[in-house]
Amino acid sequence: MRIIIRGARLLDPNQALDCVADVLVRNGVIEIIGNLTDTPFDGHVDTQVNAKGMILSPSFVDLNTCLRDLNQIQKGTIASETLAAASAGFTHLCPSPDTQPCSDSGSVISLIKSKAEAAGFCDLLPVAALTKDLKGAALSNMESLSRAGCIGFSNAGFDISDNNVLLRCYEYAATFGLKVLVQAQDEKLGSGHMHAGPTATRMGLDGIPIIAETLSISRHLQLMQHTGVEGHFNQLTSAQGVALIRQAKAQGIKVTADVGIAHLCFTDSAIKGYRSQYHVQPPLREELDREALVAGIKDGTIDAICSAHQPHESAAKCAPFAATESGMAVYDMLVPLIQTLVDAGELNWMHAIVALSSNSASIAKNEITGLTVGKRANLTLIDPNHSWTLDEASQLSHGTNQALANQTLKARVKLTLKQGQISYAL
Amino acid sequence: MHSDMFVVRHSDSGAAHFIAEQVTPNVAIINAGDGRHAHPTQAMLDMLTIRRHKGRFEPLSVAIVGDISHSRVARDQIHALKTLGCKDIRLVGPNTLMPQGIENMGVTTHSNMDSGISGADVIIMLRLQTERMASAFLPSAGEYFRLYGLTTARLSQAKPDAIVMHPGPINRGIEIESAVADGPQSMILNQVGYGIALRMAVMSMAMSGQMQQRQTQASKSSSLIGEKKI
Repeated sequence: MRIIIRGARLLDPNQALDCVADVLVRNGVIEIIGNLTDTPFDGHVDTQVNAKGMILSPSFVDLNTCLRDLNQIQKGTIASETLAAASAGFTHLCPSPDTQPCSDSGSVISLIKSKAEAAGFCDLLPVAALTKDLKGAALSNMESLSRAGCIGFSNAGFDISDNNVLLRCYEYAATFGLKVLVQAQDEKLGSGHMHAGPTATRMGLDGIPIIAETLSISRHLQLMQHTGVEGHFNQLTSAQGVALIRQAKAQGIKVTADVGIAHLCFTDSAIKGYRSQYHVQPPLREELDREALVAGIKDGTIDAICSAHQPHESAAKCAPFAATESGMAVYDMLVPLIQTLVDAGELNWMHAIVALSSNSASIAKNEITGLTVGKRANLTLIDPNHSWTLDEASQLSHGTNQALANQTLKARVKLTLKQGQISYAL
Repeated sequence: MHSDMFVVRHSDSGAAHFIAEQVTPNVAIINAGDGRHAHPTQAMLDMLTIRRHKGRFEPLSVAIVGDISHSRVARDQIHALKTLGCKDIRLVGPNTLMPQGIENMGVTTHSNMDSGISGADVIIMLRLQTERMASAFLPSAGEYFRLYGLTTARLSQAKPDAIVMHPGPINRGIEIESAVADGPQSMILNQVGYGIALRMAVMSMAMSGQMQQRQTQASKSSSLIGEKKI
């Protein structure tokens, strides 16, 4: 099978590659990168894309997503959500362990992996529960779960308040060189529904102060440093949080961090009018926080951008704000959101691809395939000028919680190749 | 069944707004208090009270005292006072009852009661829910009264003709002394009376569109019947 992508701008951060060229993929392997007009080759071409003005990069790896399924098929299925992910350029996903039932056993892990394999759109690199049933009391079978293919361990949105348990979790993970992922938010201080600030005050909603994040980051950082465990922070939200990670990296602590795309693009003011589509956890904060998050991506303090995709059925968002479930369906709008940051001059596509692809792949300990001749093709082709409307007909996620529903968006994935096969084509 | 009007009091902020989004356009939703967000008719009757007894809003100093954090009344009073041109709005209470970023609404915050009400024309006391003690916002009702309770002695810090207001029901001996609540400067019973008139007016205004629509429909159908007869 032959696929030819002609005239795309090739971006690969690992090789500092930024050039316009043609790419030939044969039998799943990148065979030629260069000018194909003059290169003779025999035989049939299955797919040919005129990709002038488009961007071709290594495919994306998502460090935080919820695919639902199992006991939550009303919100989405692994088949529907992995297809939506492929349409956002992802080939590899790290689903969060807060599945129902929770991802704390080899059987749940193998079930979700086999469902994804059957669907064929994305490969899963699951994050397993750090404690049994995410209860924060007993250690999960980390070593066995790691053998079952889990790339790290997290307690998802459930804070472990007992320092004794947390210390042992980290000691045990460090014993076997396993990675821990943290969504840093103090449970009690984080009991509100949006960022604590003027907007929450005016709307009369319970606020989550920034110190809910910074206290938690400091606590986890100290335990990471003490135990030597390899740590990763999911979904930073605040300027102060970014500053703490910057400081920790400067001190040589082994730590990485990501930010959800929603936090890079939206602020708490989007909630005005009680718009429950912007009810997310951790919460959207203020403009200066958003700017600090963007700056964190640019200077490398924040390594990766994750989707933090959380699809919901319509009933989950149809209630007074505080009674709605938190979370946003992100896959259908992820690439257009990146494009808005690029158009605003806040990021360029190379920053975005570093954060979505090469850095996230290395955090997930996934082999970085890249745009290299002789490698299996894991590629994403984006048309940054494609204008389209996100509506029920065009969306692929089952989640009805689309923040940008019925809006005209710019940029769309044209083609995603996973292990040399087309996993998504527009 | 079709309802013409919903009068909604709900513990969730934004509940009335949510219901308004779900109903057909000609149904009236009156917010009778939602969570900590708003209590529009209370704020309107309070403004009526101030207007009746103090006249113009621009030169007034208004102090709102107590649990600002959990108060939908305070938020709407601030909104109404700003809209009517009041320049000096002071919020008085301990930091635990002062919500983050409230200064953005154009107010000043004071943790000292005496300086907070000093020279004020209007003092609005808020009801203190006793569950605030159990949830660690305050140590005790006694300490709260000593620091923030409105007593006759304290009231002398305000202007001699200052008026005292309270949305009710009042906790005597917790946020306000009986002598003040029942004293000559108290407007608490006037507020209750204005509340009835104001809420009647709000309901009448909210329903007037529907009454007009019905009358138009009725006259249309009667003229149609008339045509048929001819």
